[in-house]
Amino acid sequence: MSQAAAPSAPYMGQRPSKPRRGRPTAAAVVVLAAITVWAGLGVGVDLAAIGRNWQNAVVNTTQLLQPDYAFFPKTIPALLETLNMAVIATFIGSLLSVPLAFLASRATNPNAPLLGAVRFGMNLIRSVPDILYAAILVAVVGVGALSGIMALVLFNVGIIVKLVSEALDAEDLGAQEAALAAGATWTGANRSAMLPQILPSLASQVLYTFEINIRASTVIGLVGAGGLGILIDNVRSFFRYHELSLIILEILVMVLVLEALSSALRKRLV
Amino acid sequence: MSVETATSKPAPAAPPGPGRLHQRPARPAHWGRKALWLLVSLIVVAAFWSVKIKWSALADFGPQLVKYLGLMFGPPDWSKFGEAFSAVVLSVQMAWIGTVLGILISFPLSFLAARGLAPRAVNWPLRVLFAVIRAVPEVVIAILILSVTGLTPFTGALALAVGSVGTLGKWGYESFEGVDPGPKEAVRSTGGGTLALIRWGIWPSAAPEVLSFWLYRFEINVRASAILGLIGAGGIGKMLTDNVQFRNWDAVGMLLLVVIVVTMIIDQLSGAVRNRLVNGSWRPPRSRGRNRPRR
Repeated sequence: MSQAAAPSAPYMGQRPSKPRRGRPTAAAVVVLAAITVWAGLGVGVDLAAIGRNWQNAVVNTTQLLQPDYAFFPKTIPALLETLNMAVIATFIGSLLSVPLAFLASRATNPNAPLLGAVRFGMNLIRSVPDILYAAILVAVVGVGALSGIMALVLFNVGIIVKLVSEALDAEDLGAQEAALAAGATWTGANRSAMLPQILPSLASQVLYTFEINIRASTVIGLVGAGGLGILIDNVRSFFRYHELSLIILEILVMVLVLEALSSALRKRLV
Repeated sequence: MSVETATSKPAPAAPPGPGRLHQRPARPAHWGRKALWLLVSLIVVAAFWSVKIKWSALADFGPQLVKYLGLMFGPPDWSKFGEAFSAVVLSVQMAWIGTVLGILISFPLSFLAARGLAPRAVNWPLRVLFAVIRAVPEVVIAILILSVTGLTPFTGALALAVGSVGTLGKWGYESFEGVDPGPKEAVRSTGGGTLALIRWGIWPSAAPEVLSFWLYRFEINVRASAILGLIGAGGIGKMLTDNVQFRNWDAVGMLLLVVIVVTMIIDQLSGAVRNRLVNGSWRPPRSRGRNRPRR
């Protein structure tokens, strides 16, 4: 009490003393700078090369700004294939993800060993980049859309399960507890009390995954997994930049339109 | 008072018929929702119907997968581990440089793209630029940059940097716009200019989130750097595709293990730092699910 009363007069005009955390921040900056220098040396950062060769970029960019629209009809099958792959992969991926998401959330899976196993498996699946799946699956099931779809499905399951199980973790557990108290099984309680709560966020994640799939399905074609990627690979090996430019433009339009649509939908949902 | 009114009024709006009382209310029709479901189902069916796939190939997928997994992991070929390790280090370095360059470029731009910090005429072009970059896959960006710097890891890093600008720029301006208006008003009311506003009104609230976005983008770049190897930008991706092409499955198995382990370690580290930045603790916040009595 007396302590609180004493400092009043001399402290009035004074600022509260600043919490000191200068040293850790400085240390972090030094460490980060060191890592950057080390990485820069490893990568061979060569800003001079940009200065030397910027004309190439200008030439390319001007070529890229003149898409060859006559090429459009030839891209339609690949474009459709990309869309098909994205739709099918999103569909199968979400079907697989829903039960897995319930198994991967603490809130809905009381079985600790199973929870750990599912989470570990999901981490494993997520740590492999989609294009590596595609490269391997192309070797296993052959060139074409099937390997691409399978690669995307694996990739999607990783994303959706993570996001939805996190949503489940944060959900209100009252209804589930009530169901359990009334004698429901865990499956029943999860189905009737938890599933309805996460449906909006599930739908929003599925839309988000669809957006990602459109983008990814153009890329995984580079290794032969179908879609626009195969076309990109063809035209780039022959340096036909006007055609490449049209393909990029198509991806751009497709992604932007879908992003606008799905973000409008997601706003309604959540 | 309330009790009186409640008791004084006889049952509200006398029931139209005795039968109605035990009846459930009619379900809302939700025509819009039904139409949407129908549309989505149609799209899915159309996709399955129009895609040209030999579904019969799925029949022997199981045995094939087992065969290839056996070739890859039974046992993996560790003889090239040294080479793989330096390749994966190069990939991580590529990701790091890409992230750093991306941050350096996107950081000022995202302030200019934030509403209220720069005129609308500056906001919109930048936002469109970010959206366009986000729409183009990193591999395509790399193909474009190839002609300038050649097929080097630096090209890969540059492609990642450009790709990062798209996402970091967007996340940046969104979080600058989302900060609590209180400190901003305080700075304005004491006569602070735009720089003071950014430094004292916005940055302190936005910093944890923005820093955590940077780390998150680094995680993404680590994955993407493996992809860039496909077009020859070097690193683990190049080694992987080379070995897949020559069907050295046991080496592919080893490389996959290396990629998975390194990615997981980086994710864990970066996730811990992100938690520290955002929640003040190295571990993820305990979710409410944990606190419930366990059976």
